[in-house]
Amino acid sequence: MTTPYDVIIIGAGAGGGVAAGVLALAGKRVLLIERGRQLSFEEIGRDHLRNQRLSQYGHNAGPDIDGNPRTLEDGRIVRPHEPGYQNNAATVGSGTRVYGAQAWRFMPQDFRMASLYGVPAGSSLADWPISYDDLAPYYERVEWEIGVCGDHQAMTHLPAYNKPYPMPPLPPTTKAQVQRRGLAALGWQFLPVPLLINSIPYNDRPACIRCQHCVGFACPVDAKNDTQVTMIARALSSGNCTLVTGAMVERLTTDAGGRVTGIAYFDANGNRAEAQAEVVVVSAGAVETARLLLNSATPQEPNGIGNNSDQVGRHLQGHYYPRAVGLFEQPVQDWLGPGASTATCQFNHDNDGIIGGGMLADEFIVLPIIFWKRLLPPDLPRWGAANKQFMRDNYRRVTDITGPVQEIPSPDGRVTINPKVKDRYGIPVAHLSGTTHPETVRTAQFMVERAREWQQAAGAVKIWTNAPGLHLSGGQHQAGTARMGDDPATSVVDRWCKVHGHDNLYIADGSVHVTNCCFNPVLTIMSMAWRTAEHIAQVW
Amino acid sequence: MFSEGQIEILQAVVNRMIPPDDWPGGWEAGVGDYLFRQFERDLKGMVGLYQQGLDALEAEAQAAHGAGFARLSAEQQDMLLMQAERGTVQTTWPLDPPNFITMLAHHCAEGFYSDPDNGGNRDQIAWRMIGFEVRG
Repeated sequence: MTTPYDVIIIGAGAGGGVAAGVLALAGKRVLLIERGRQLSFEEIGRDHLRNQRLSQYGHNAGPDIDGNPRTLEDGRIVRPHEPGYQNNAATVGSGTRVYGAQAWRFMPQDFRMASLYGVPAGSSLADWPISYDDLAPYYERVEWEIGVCGDHQAMTHLPAYNKPYPMPPLPPTTKAQVQRRGLAALGWQFLPVPLLINSIPYNDRPACIRCQHCVGFACPVDAKNDTQVTMIARALSSGNCTLVTGAMVERLTTDAGGRVTGIAYFDANGNRAEAQAEVVVVSAGAVETARLLLNSATPQEPNGIGNNSDQVGRHLQGHYYPRAVGLFEQPVQDWLGPGASTATCQFNHDNDGIIGGGMLADEFIVLPIIFWKRLLPPDLPRWGAANKQFMRDNYRRVTDITGPVQEIPSPDGRVTINPKVKDRYGIPVAHLSGTTHPETVRTAQFMVERAREWQQAAGAVKIWTNAPGLHLSGGQHQAGTARMGDDPATSVVDRWCKVHGHDNLYIADGSVHVTNCCFNPVLTIMSMAWRTAEHIAQVW
Repeated sequence: MFSEGQIEILQAVVNRMIPPDDWPGGWEAGVGDYLFRQFERDLKGMVGLYQQGLDALEAEAQAAHGAGFARLSAEQQDMLLMQAERGTVQTTWPLDPPNFITMLAHHCAEGFYSDPDNGGNRDQIAWRMIGFEVRG
């Protein structure tokens, strides 16, 4: 069969964007299909009530709040900006367009969680089929090709790097200097947060101007290295990649034998269309990738493609974010963005009685209304003179220490299909149910105390904390719903992220993460996608 | 949408949620403009709730002081709002009083502290008050 495309990639985010770039530059004819639209900086805007950080009334980077529902265990039908939806942006570049761009490598231990800690009852904790050493060359590649700033010598929690980062860290903020004194007093490791942001001009784009609207918004000068300005741009300029936006894939198409032949989708005008290719890569994010596989039943796989072992959609993970907020006597905020600049990996592993742990870092710049909604002390009145006075006196005197906790996955935290509720195209929507494993809550409680110690050591005069209770997470860090493994009975994709039982169907997003570790997952999603795409280019 | 009396009560409530001091109160800073813009958009479904809540505050004022809410002193208004926040009201409310106060506090803060393009925070007055500086 001859088709106009060698590879179809579904979803132009962190994974799909990288895969498109690698495959197009390798000479493959690529169709990159994205449900969102291409959005300019102005279109994404700076609405403090409708953004990826505070979606009170909507989103700035998709999806549209109408026509894209999901359903929850309690029977609610939720829209993308509402709690429990687990949204990720829908636009060219997806979440990378509006991310804070933290560029963490997972640690060697993170790939061997079950071996190191055992498997708690009721959890689906497992080892990855690959190791840190397998992924390290791709981490390095992504750090250089897409662009990371940081200090490789400060990454003492990792094996030595073969190459430094291509850019030095951004200069520390006032807040960072205060927080670094705290870490020094405690004798804890500290390091500049590595960021997929240009600290100096790089790849023909300028350096960060340190604006206040980084996380949750688009970059005004394209110093943020999202996939749109990097790998997708390179894919398009190669002449080998066709980008189709506003197009929603309904299902994977197959031949009589159940082999994948391409996709059936709705184009930007809502008309049905199909496309064929030798290889299909699904990179729609952990929720939508699972939904697409489950919505693609065949006689050979009646419960959805890749799902003959009932693994698709299970083990949904994101990150818990325990936090300690500290009030200081002197102003500590100088409004130099992006704001997150100091971290410690002192407690990611080797904690007595805790499975894994977490990273802690200072928070990005917190916009005033987000500060009001999330960071006020619990004993402060929510209105009146005292509330106003606190905002006035202390908005510049408060810092927030937080960070992702290693989630212990549960097979019951999952994505299924709700056949009774359809999206605007008539496609059955994702239904979210279950929670993470209770061990995650224990780790979060442990990390709250570490965050409190850090604030104390930094000189905070008042500290308040927040340890989340048992719930399902996902959101922008969503992962785990098509986990990687050597055994088809307990995993969805193999060590090359090829769906078990298929020769031409791959997954390139956080879905394949066996565990989601205690770091923002995007550098790993990009590196895994690079590795998978390189493999596809070699074998196809 | 709202009667003149309800708007008067709303203005009084907004100015107790974010009272004037040496910086403007909520109403002067544009919280009312924010709310009326939102009542046509995202808070369309809340208009009925607002009407009920404002009427209930008026009934509380009449029951406690024999005068309208907007005519009371700031201290008397604060007291009635605090009682509603605690759920210790004297009259029968058609809605949950604590939830109404929480909702008011959030919507007023949104109007005061979010970006001026949302209709409130006139001339970035709240940002200047707290020291949030936008550069770039």
